[in-house]
Amino acid sequence: MKVYAGLDGGSTYLKAALIDEYGRVLRTGVTSTGIDNNASAKRLLAGLMEACGVSRVDYTMATGYSRKILEVADDDVSEITAHAYGVRVTAPKEYRSGMIVDIGGQDSKIIYLDANYTVKNFTMNDKCAAGTGKFMEVIAQILETTIDQVGPLSLESTAPCDINSTCVVFAQSEVISLVARKFDRRDILSGMHLSMAKRIIKMMKKSEKDGDVLMTGGGALNIGLRKAFEDELMRDVFVANYPQFNGAIGAALLASERG
Amino acid sequence: MSDDPVRRQGPPEERRRQRFISKSSAVSLKYLRRVEELPHMPEALTPFLHILGHVFVEQGGAVKPEHIPTVGTYCVMVPPELIYAAGAMPVKLCGGSYTAFNIGDDVAPRDACPLVKAVMGFETVGAAPVYRECAMIAVPVTCDCKKKLAGYLGERRPTVALHVPSGRDRDEDMERFVEELYAFGAKLTELTGAPLSYERLSWACGLTAAAQYELSRFITLRRKAPLVIKGTHYMAAMNAMSYTHISLWTRHMRALCDELEQRIRNGEMASKENRPRILVTGSPIVFPNFKLPLLIEEMGGALVADETCMGERGAYDPPAIVDQSTDGILRALANRSTRPCTCPTFVDNKRRLYRIRQMIEDYRVEGVIYHVLRGCLVYDYEYRAMEEELGKLGVPIIRVESDYNEEDVEQLRIRIEAFVELIKYGKR
Repeated sequence: MKVYAGLDGGSTYLKAALIDEYGRVLRTGVTSTGIDNNASAKRLLAGLMEACGVSRVDYTMATGYSRKILEVADDDVSEITAHAYGVRVTAPKEYRSGMIVDIGGQDSKIIYLDANYTVKNFTMNDKCAAGTGKFMEVIAQILETTIDQVGPLSLESTAPCDINSTCVVFAQSEVISLVARKFDRRDILSGMHLSMAKRIIKMMKKSEKDGDVLMTGGGALNIGLRKAFEDELMRDVFVANYPQFNGAIGAALLASERG
Repeated sequence: MSDDPVRRQGPPEERRRQRFISKSSAVSLKYLRRVEELPHMPEALTPFLHILGHVFVEQGGAVKPEHIPTVGTYCVMVPPELIYAAGAMPVKLCGGSYTAFNIGDDVAPRDACPLVKAVMGFETVGAAPVYRECAMIAVPVTCDCKKKLAGYLGERRPTVALHVPSGRDRDEDMERFVEELYAFGAKLTELTGAPLSYERLSWACGLTAAAQYELSRFITLRRKAPLVIKGTHYMAAMNAMSYTHISLWTRHMRALCDELEQRIRNGEMASKENRPRILVTGSPIVFPNFKLPLLIEEMGGALVADETCMGERGAYDPPAIVDQSTDGILRALANRSTRPCTCPTFVDNKRRLYRIRQMIEDYRVEGVIYHVLRGCLVYDYEYRAMEEELGKLGVPIIRVESDYNEEDVEQLRIRIEAFVELIKYGKR
């Protein structure tokens, strides 16, 4: 059996995926990025290999912020290409190739695909983290909850609050004042998801009607955010399998074309 | 820091000027080095880099014979022939300096474009001899920012606002522009004492025709072999034109073309054949703001062509003089400076789409990067139409917005890298 590895060195987490030559995901793993990217990557990869019982990897591809410095990788590729490749494996069966919305720790991107999953175009947020996971993390902290709880909690909201600031820092003070005014935190969370969705949708071409919308990245794990997207876009939104590992899986798939 | 020599010399204004000069020289030197460090630089490019170094690093004036006064111009709508005919020399002052931009940021409103902010910054500080030495400035009123710039400069030094028509299809619009050129000509005569006679005008047309001949050679060579010279290198050569007497520039360009011809004969290329071939269009790329072309080439793209006013757009055909008279020449110049122009400042600008289509074919372009300087609305407006047109051709296009600072380099890098990959993986 041939084994390929993909590493996605993101701003917050380092993700890894092992796949076989048929593009099947063998195992995924995640660790905090930490200060020593290389050591974290090596450890993470070794752990995955042990868990799968494989002794060697045929080719390793890196992507993400730290892709250029990950020495264990044979080559690297940009996040855009990696994510576009990843969805070939991670997209649910009923998804028709079209648009990918990736919500990462510090950036979010929209990738437009043609029917064959080839990248047609893309847009990214610049100089602002307001539509990203970091934003979610900051708000979760204020509301004394955790990132994995914000989604389920927000679904219980009956009257979402308005959060209008377009900047993480300003939104933070807006949320603090909502808390002070004794708003239910479930309503605040729901408002946060709507505000994030609106911001990301601003980057999208509304005219793009071909295909479906697929969410990837850690942000896609948040059921509340997905619902907010569906409400704002007024269309169905699909969530990738292993959304957080989509970049790593894409990198592994690209590795399998090399090795 | 007490032994910093700048700190102890002269009044505060002078010290600010000194600091400005050393800072802007350092940035220019850095970019000049990066241009030089790119592999496969033709030897004949050296004089062009010397010109940029002379103006931006050594802070010298325009490169020209000593006694000739200079007239500052902007855009491509001020016919250089008029200025040469009057015995002066045009210097294109569109600014690309990050240092000057920072100062201009205080003077111009936030949403003004960085190019105009840079010009205002240069004017405010009063450094850079290439700006200071201008005996007169001619600002074509093209976009809103240029209009306000004309007013700003007009308060400080002799300035002519050249009203460019926003349409080109009605005779009365062109008629008005001819009148503008006559008025501009009269100002030039006032400045130098030389009347714009038929002889002088036709001599000046000869000067620019010689430059255009070399330029058309250069373009033809690059069309034949899009990879014979790196895009950043040819952009440096085109930028140098702004600060050089046209006869000198023509001579350097001739040598460059000769060398490129030789390279083609030897089969030497400046880039690998399989690199994605990219065209840049949109807002101008003015030295030292070379981050975009440098990034394209560093990220594995081949920058084969540009459709901007600092590049090939300056290379329109020589004026077609049908009536051999002073008036005939002025009309030909008015036509040449507006009709073929693809600047989005004109109401109707379909010809830009035609030109891009032609260039995609000529240079076998595989992807287009649409450069928008923040605040440059007219270019941003035309992105949609361009995207639609290229969509029909199946040529990928990406809009890249940037400003005059280095804070967005990493954001630009990932976009450009992904775009290069998009073309590469799309090909398979």
